[in-house]
Amino acid sequence: MTDDILNVRGWVESASQFLAEATVGQSRHWGFVDSVAFFLTELIMAIVIFGAIMNTLLVLLWMERKLLGRFMDRRGAVTSLRSLWVGENGVTAGEWWNQLPFGVGKPIGGINRALNRIAGNDHELEAVRRVQNRSYHGVWWLFPGFFQNLADGMKFLTKEHMVPEKSDRFVYEVAPFLIIATTVMCFTFIPLGPHFFSNNSEMSILFLMAVFSVAPLGVFFAGWSSNNKYTLLGGIRSAAQLTAYEIPLLVTVLSVVVISGSFNMIEVIEFQANSGVWNIFLLPLGGLLFLVVMVAEVERIPFDMPEAEAELVEGWWTEYGGMRWGLMFAAEYLRTYAACLLFAHFFLGGWEAPFEDTIPFISMVPHVLWVFLKAWFMFIFFVWFRAALHRVRTDQILEFGWCYLLPLSLVNLAMAAALRLWVYDGVAGEWPILVPILITSIGLALFVLLAIDEDPEALAAQTRPYSVQTTDAAGPGQHRE
Amino acid sequence: MAEMWISMGPQHPMTHGLWTLKVKVDGETVVDTEPDLGYIHRGVEKICEARDFTQITTYCDRLCYASANTWSHAWIYAAEDLLEVEVPERAEYIRMVAVELQRIASHLMWLGAYCPDVGNLTGMVWCLREREMMMDLLQELGGSRMHYNFPRVGGVKRDLPIGFAMRCRAKLKLFLDRIQEYEAILDESTIFLVRTQGVGYAKAEEMINHGVTGPNTRAAGHDYDVRWAHPYSIYDELDWSPAVERPSIKGSDCYDRYRVRVEEMRQSALMVLEGLDKMPGGSETHHESGDPAILGKAPARAAEGKTGFHHFEDSRGESMFYIAGGGEARGKHPYRVSIRSPMFITIPYAAKCMIGYKIADIPAIMGSFDPCIGETDR
Repeated sequence: MTDDILNVRGWVESASQFLAEATVGQSRHWGFVDSVAFFLTELIMAIVIFGAIMNTLLVLLWMERKLLGRFMDRRGAVTSLRSLWVGENGVTAGEWWNQLPFGVGKPIGGINRALNRIAGNDHELEAVRRVQNRSYHGVWWLFPGFFQNLADGMKFLTKEHMVPEKSDRFVYEVAPFLIIATTVMCFTFIPLGPHFFSNNSEMSILFLMAVFSVAPLGVFFAGWSSNNKYTLLGGIRSAAQLTAYEIPLLVTVLSVVVISGSFNMIEVIEFQANSGVWNIFLLPLGGLLFLVVMVAEVERIPFDMPEAEAELVEGWWTEYGGMRWGLMFAAEYLRTYAACLLFAHFFLGGWEAPFEDTIPFISMVPHVLWVFLKAWFMFIFFVWFRAALHRVRTDQILEFGWCYLLPLSLVNLAMAAALRLWVYDGVAGEWPILVPILITSIGLALFVLLAIDEDPEALAAQTRPYSVQTTDAAGPGQHRE
Repeated sequence: MAEMWISMGPQHPMTHGLWTLKVKVDGETVVDTEPDLGYIHRGVEKICEARDFTQITTYCDRLCYASANTWSHAWIYAAEDLLEVEVPERAEYIRMVAVELQRIASHLMWLGAYCPDVGNLTGMVWCLREREMMMDLLQELGGSRMHYNFPRVGGVKRDLPIGFAMRCRAKLKLFLDRIQEYEAILDESTIFLVRTQGVGYAKAEEMINHGVTGPNTRAAGHDYDVRWAHPYSIYDELDWSPAVERPSIKGSDCYDRYRVRVEEMRQSALMVLEGLDKMPGGSETHHESGDPAILGKAPARAAEGKTGFHHFEDSRGESMFYIAGGGEARGKHPYRVSIRSPMFITIPYAAKCMIGYKIADIPAIMGSFDPCIGETDR
């Protein structure tokens, strides 16, 4: 296994072993020392992974806001927790520090004034003058807007929990927990580093995919139990869409499994590290399919039919409010995050640094950083799709899934099997260097050929390539009386 | 799945206003529709009977919140027909500039609302960005950003401000470039094309029989534009022709209606540029308010038994005003004002257009007809 200076799992293991021996080992239950140590390790690692994921989830949301702001030619929202603290236009939230006894609050007031001067919403600051254009304010190194979602979460927490009168109350209450719990559970099986994972079961990919596909059931429950026509339609759409896209997803994942020769996530990554070639260069079609199918699985534009806000108000979660809605929203982003991490693991070499064997001292960088960087990089695509594309219709999305993605994923699986059978059997050391180069260049050439589908003559004539109608100007005097 | 009625509205993202569309669906397919209008009926026609001719302009501004200037100008032309006023030519040019800028702003508002209807927020933000430029220009003319109260019986409230022509040219030049950006994100997106092409067919003959007018019929190949067919104001002095789409044999789809509005925006921008060049007295001169060069003399009272009528190419179709003057008995007020709203006729027709399509097509089809409920309910 790859060495990592951040041997989190090793530290936790030795600490739990020590703890177990110091407590249980001294008692008459000393025979359970190993079990207790294992339990402690798993528990602590699960908490650590959960914390790492939840904290870095803020990066995703922040990236989405900032990137969309750029794509949409608009600088993202400016409010954050900091503005609650600092206040706006020199007006702070009550100056409570002056009411503290003996003037102990004076330094707080001083710090606050200084913050207000440096980064506050003062109209004399150049940045704040651009607030009219919804620009950020303050200084860049405070990551303006980064903690926006904590403020949002606090708002959700203060909201009342309302259940529709005629809903199926039990299912209505259970559905969000089904969605959230299974989504969080996914991360148990996603390692963040060679020594930074909470569970390494033999069939982790299989288990992960099983857990990943439970949430749609919760979505359907939520849609049906709310007793609302919009949520019902949203739930049905969600069920149809996720069923249609589950199969190409599994077949694509299967191709990765076939080429790596293992159902274990860590072994898939180690395979890429050992063979020296990331899977994206062997299965470019698989990478593309995985990305497209994952966009549909996490229900983002252009495949966000179940929550199409133009016609279904808010789709299956119309009737939810307060923190349940907030948590389901977080679960949505967690699923996106899981999709990005899985793409990084399956196709971008997981925690392996680019050119890890050639660049000296690059292995000194903690590997978890590469995992996150790759996942965040993949998230850029998700945001890009959202900014550039429109929403597809229900029948079109199903047609796309069954008629294009499913056959293509089968082709991809066949390619993976052929590569594994005849090109590289997993034993003979490294890939023949020509194979990935050849595959990648063929893939790129096909992509370019298919992307340039514009008619050069039509472009020259300044008419639209897909246009079936032309603008016909009315001739002078035709209809004039 | 059994058929069921869904009540979309009065507060629903699809409505673009305050009305209800009752939809009968069979699974995802729309089987029947029933529009329910009248939520914001304010009785403008009745209010007008107790106001004098200048005061009514303010009310007509509020007929449509996205296209205020076109409605107040439609009123003014009818009032001038009733009161038999001579309007200075410079005022007519200024009115044309104001109305065409308003038309661009209105179509941008439409496109900005239509992009989220088919699931893209970027288009909305871009369109509202350009609409700001038009709003700034209109603010220079009328003094406010939404309801301008700009025209007067016999002319306009204010002359073009100093430097307006320069700013207007620069902004319109930028806008003409930006239209290509919209086309890049809409026309060249296959998803937008599959969402709009072949959806919501409307035939020209049917629309004419229903009384649908404006860009919606021009999208179906019927090249009728009031500015072109019955030129009022100075539209016959400009070098232009209406944007007309050539539809398929099944009629015009949402894509045609989108194209025709984009072409109209381009055309309106060119018309404003041409109008600024041709303006009598030059677009850089500035007269004081009330100067005879921009405001003709108008009587305050209408003659007994006289009626005034004008039909006007609004951003959404042909708007008409029919006024009966009251003579001495009614004082300075008209006896009766009747308003013909193009959208009041279009919305029921658009609701019928959706039958047979999917639920997801409802906003795409309804949005493509550009509903505005302020004028519909009056």
